[in-house]
Amino acid sequence: MPTLRELQAGFRDALLGGDEHAAAAAVRGDGLGAAARLAVYRHHVFTSLTAALESTYPVVVRLVDARFFRYAADRYIREHPPASPCLSEYGADLGEFLARFEPCLHLAYLPDVARLEWAMNAALHAPDVEPIAPEALRAPVTLALHPSVTLLPSPWPLDAIWRANQPDAESDAVDLDTGGVLLQVWRAGEEVVFRRLSAAGFAFRNAVARSGRLDAAAQAALAADAAADLPALIRAVLDEEVLVQV
Amino acid sequence: MDRLTSVPGLSGSGIGLRSPHVAEVLATRPAIDWLEVHAENYMGGGPAVRTLERIRRDYPVSIHGVGLSLGSADGLDAVHLERLAGLVERLQPALVSEHLSWSLTGGAYLNHLLPLPYTEEALAVVSEHVDRAQERLGRRLLVENPSSYLRFHHSPMPEAEFLNALVRRTGCGLLCDVNNVYVSCENLGGDAVAYLEAIEPAAVEEIHLAGHAVNDADGRAILIDDHGSRVAEAVWRLHARALARFGAVPTLVEWDTDVPPLAILLEEAAQANVMLRGARHDDGDAHAA
Repeated sequence: MPTLRELQAGFRDALLGGDEHAAAAAVRGDGLGAAARLAVYRHHVFTSLTAALESTYPVVVRLVDARFFRYAADRYIREHPPASPCLSEYGADLGEFLARFEPCLHLAYLPDVARLEWAMNAALHAPDVEPIAPEALRAPVTLALHPSVTLLPSPWPLDAIWRANQPDAESDAVDLDTGGVLLQVWRAGEEVVFRRLSAAGFAFRNAVARSGRLDAAAQAALAADAAADLPALIRAVLDEEVLVQV
Repeated sequence: MDRLTSVPGLSGSGIGLRSPHVAEVLATRPAIDWLEVHAENYMGGGPAVRTLERIRRDYPVSIHGVGLSLGSADGLDAVHLERLAGLVERLQPALVSEHLSWSLTGGAYLNHLLPLPYTEEALAVVSEHVDRAQERLGRRLLVENPSSYLRFHHSPMPEAEFLNALVRRTGCGLLCDVNNVYVSCENLGGDAVAYLEAIEPAAVEEIHLAGHAVNDADGRAILIDDHGSRVAEAVWRLHARALARFGAVPTLVEWDTDVPPLAILLEEAAQANVMLRGARHDDGDAHAA
């Protein structure tokens, strides 16, 4: 007779597709085989987790088509089951998974599209933190980016790819040769938005995230672009409410 | 055990609030006695939880957890319990409930309310976790009976007896999901009325109702608790038996698969209220109104 811990480990093996032997041995058939009974549970695990991933990654679903996405999701779920019961937190590393997933290696931009969709999902559910008030910057303070912010550099025109794959898009044609982007994804009020940053704007925010210091951020911006307009950069992060005091 | 007493004031019928209906509920303020939400959908920041706080001003709310995994042999997820406590603190719900099941093993959350063998070992594990949850939340937890598709070779206690023992050990309450009783008994060959008769009636503080699907598994009918249709006639009849035994216990209608227009859910809740009024009449219980 297995201990409860052994039984539960056996269920994990059976449900995630490894080895059904241990779980099946503990289950009564009752006229229907143990395998068929375990299949009821496995079906729910995979359909519910696949639905959660589809809901977080609609553009990836559209780019690879729904059937292929379910195939990829099946592999992903087996290799990366959730660590938290909050389904909005599931699937953080789908981009990394897709970057190594043989059948879609030819879609070189796909992992970054997944990273963008994850950043949007993370922004939607990020903790509510008050942005710093402009006056507070007059004193020396330790800064951070708002928890809803993700800075996403990509060699692909991610914003154009995302917009072209919205349900209301007029055309899904994207010129991939238009080059890369430096994106900021964040929650503005109730809405999740993203926009392109300049090299200086990107360096400024990156330095805030790394050092927490305004002077270091200013230096980083000037290093990226000697002609950077520092007052305008500071105004932008205050207007966008992406700066918080630690 | 005084401090474990639930906040009073929930009566009548409610619906499980699902995201497709949130805007309509806010805009139209339908006549419904109370609303229940899944805790795990509101553990982040952002608009979802702020919207729920607005709804909470107009309706009593019950918090129904699906992720605490009370039956995990690996132990209780302390981080998740803290997040649940934070939400309970923020919303001040009338009831807080969870499930007699497990989901978490070896760091993997299997996203299903998985079955436990009803053994002394499992009873000790679940009791310890209910104790810890009630201690942290500072209130009574209701524990819901699961829908089941299998039994274990070694599971010496009937489920109702296991639940009663859990109530005695921890002082928790019970959430009797009448559809789950029906589904489990049909799938595993039990007697649903006898199940209800075996439950400690004073412990039942909430009832759940939902629809189920009838699927084919290797040529045999198996009922799936998919919350994807109206409450079945047989389950309404069982609800009447439950109310006769437990009293006019607040009753919730859940719908999670192919979620219909809000009006359909309100109809189901209205039907539950008809049943509740009948039960109060039979009791002659003036307090329950």
